[in-house]
Amino acid sequence: MPADQAQLKQSKVAATSPAVQESLLAVRDLCVSFHDGADWFQVLKDVSLEVHPGETVGVVGESGCGKSLTALSILGLLPRRGCRRSGQILFEGRDLGQFGESEMRRVRGRRIGMIFQEPMSALDPVFTVGHQITETVRAHFRVSGREAHERAVAALTAVGIPSPRDCAGMYPMSLSGGMRQRVMIAMALVCEPRLLIADEPTTALDVTIQAQIVDLLQELSQRTGTALLFITHNLGLVAESCSRMLTMYAGQVVEDGPVDEILSRPLHPYTAGLLGSLPQQHHRKSKLPSIPGRVPSPQDMPTGCRFGPRCGYVEAACREPQPLLARGDRHVRCWRADALALPGAGA
Amino acid sequence: MSDILTVEDLDIAFSARQRHRFIRAVDGVGFRVAQGETFGVIGESGSGKSTLGRCIVCLVRPTSGRILHDGADPFLLNAAELRRHRRSFQIIFQDPNAALDPRMTILESVREPLDVAGIGSSDERRRRALAMLDRVALSLELANRYPHEISGGQKQRANIARALVLEPRLIVCDEVVAALDVSIQADMLNLFAELQREFSLTYVFISHDLRVVAHVSDRVAVMYFGKLVELGPAQALMAEPLHPYTQALLSAEPEPAPSHRRNRERIILKGEIPSPLAPPSGCRFHTRCPLAVAECAAREPEWREIAPGHFAACHFAGKSAAVPS
Repeated sequence: MPADQAQLKQSKVAATSPAVQESLLAVRDLCVSFHDGADWFQVLKDVSLEVHPGETVGVVGESGCGKSLTALSILGLLPRRGCRRSGQILFEGRDLGQFGESEMRRVRGRRIGMIFQEPMSALDPVFTVGHQITETVRAHFRVSGREAHERAVAALTAVGIPSPRDCAGMYPMSLSGGMRQRVMIAMALVCEPRLLIADEPTTALDVTIQAQIVDLLQELSQRTGTALLFITHNLGLVAESCSRMLTMYAGQVVEDGPVDEILSRPLHPYTAGLLGSLPQQHHRKSKLPSIPGRVPSPQDMPTGCRFGPRCGYVEAACREPQPLLARGDRHVRCWRADALALPGAGA
Repeated sequence: MSDILTVEDLDIAFSARQRHRFIRAVDGVGFRVAQGETFGVIGESGSGKSTLGRCIVCLVRPTSGRILHDGADPFLLNAAELRRHRRSFQIIFQDPNAALDPRMTILESVREPLDVAGIGSSDERRRRALAMLDRVALSLELANRYPHEISGGQKQRANIARALVLEPRLIVCDEVVAALDVSIQADMLNLFAELQREFSLTYVFISHDLRVVAHVSDRVAVMYFGKLVELGPAQALMAEPLHPYTQALLSAEPEPAPSHRRNRERIILKGEIPSPLAPPSGCRFHTRCPLAVAECAAREPEWREIAPGHFAACHFAGKSAAVPS
């Protein structure tokens, strides 16, 4: 039996290692725990994800499911105290988890760019936009101030800001929300990172401006070959801009795979629930299916399937912890996935 | 059905910091809302939809034009009468956190309107508040908690209970589900529908989310930059939008469907929402409109009825087959 297991393990390693080679970012079994003063409680459990060069991967889930925390872990931005992390974060073949702060500073902003939800709180109100982008350039490249400024202006031009030279001299407060988010994108892309992590980049924006920004992100990623990890609660945005997606729930990945396949035929009841609760045009005024209850808190996580208490398909065996099962090029954390024929988008 | 709310040629202007300059947040808006109807208002930030909502419940005075509640102008009432009148016309705001006093328990917050109105004995007020909390599915245990101890969805339920406890006839819902997750949003929209049937409520449902507005509303008005650009039955407006702005809004809404089922061309609007201090001439949408011609900058389009009950303010609405759908 142990020999069997060893063999199984070996074959698993053999099967996964080529993927590790070709993927830009591979997060393996990431666990994060926080200390609340009395006890440790786990907020991320066995999160694994992969991003290939030039690819756009979406992460969806409701608030509190661990999407943003996953992004912060990849960037090494977790608090130093009261926080424990395990698992691997392989970026370009090296484990970022082993990096010290000074090494991490050379990756962050340079190899991995980031965009956050609220552009106003990510920009410093007392410096001009140009100053802030120039600062980023000079932190990573040994170039003159003038050269750095030119690069900043070029980056502002690339994100479609009219009269970029004037914009560089402006303060964040005199820009609109959409413009600020463009500035954030310019700042994230000025060092030509290989991976861009965008955490709810359009949530604070109007829908017509959101369409512009998503369009811009896609166009830039195609032009520069930058891979995109797109964190959002908006399934529509994932459908329109990503090739693969992950659904997260209560600190775990519950489903991953190609976007079109997941949307046409979700395997996990939570993904199906998210899709079902969106108002549809042709079902006006009807009762919307909803997911009863709420995301469990990390302090009292169910021992079995974490979605079990809210799931309409729950059975006795759901009281056991659920492993992530492979289904072709998809994964799902539900033992009933094959038995359930869940409705997809627009059903 | 009689009209519970009439808005007539409403203008609301705020004075800007600069001298002698005004921001016209609402500009010549008019519509009627029938008893028991859900009237949706869509618009992006800065379109004036929230100002309109506040004016409907007498929180903002019209600069010109008027609003009528059951045919009578509430701004003509004296202070005591207005306070009494207000009970029937309530508003629920977007941010469930900001609307609840952090130092009051949920029960106290829901009871407060009754205390202010001086309805019944103290015991009865408590009973009524508890009954209303029960109606919005908040348990007795939650009633004694403080806002920071409950979730966003529960807080919004408390706000709904607080608005309902005075038995209003009309409720302005200003972005009531915008701060909530989709699964909770669905719950909340169902609750609004149930309460409407139960208490024969009229809603003015304000949101930037077309999908949400179209789901709940009987009729929908689209606002851009202080003006109505389109108004029509929800179904017709979604199926055959007449104004290019409505078309752009519909197409900008990302659709959660697999790629083979998305067969539409997206209209990506150019440019930003213009500055309210310097509104564009003619049609206010012409700076971003994909169909704009010289005429649009020169002449303001009329408000025309293009199909029965379906109005739009665009020179080309209903005229040209070139309008992309």
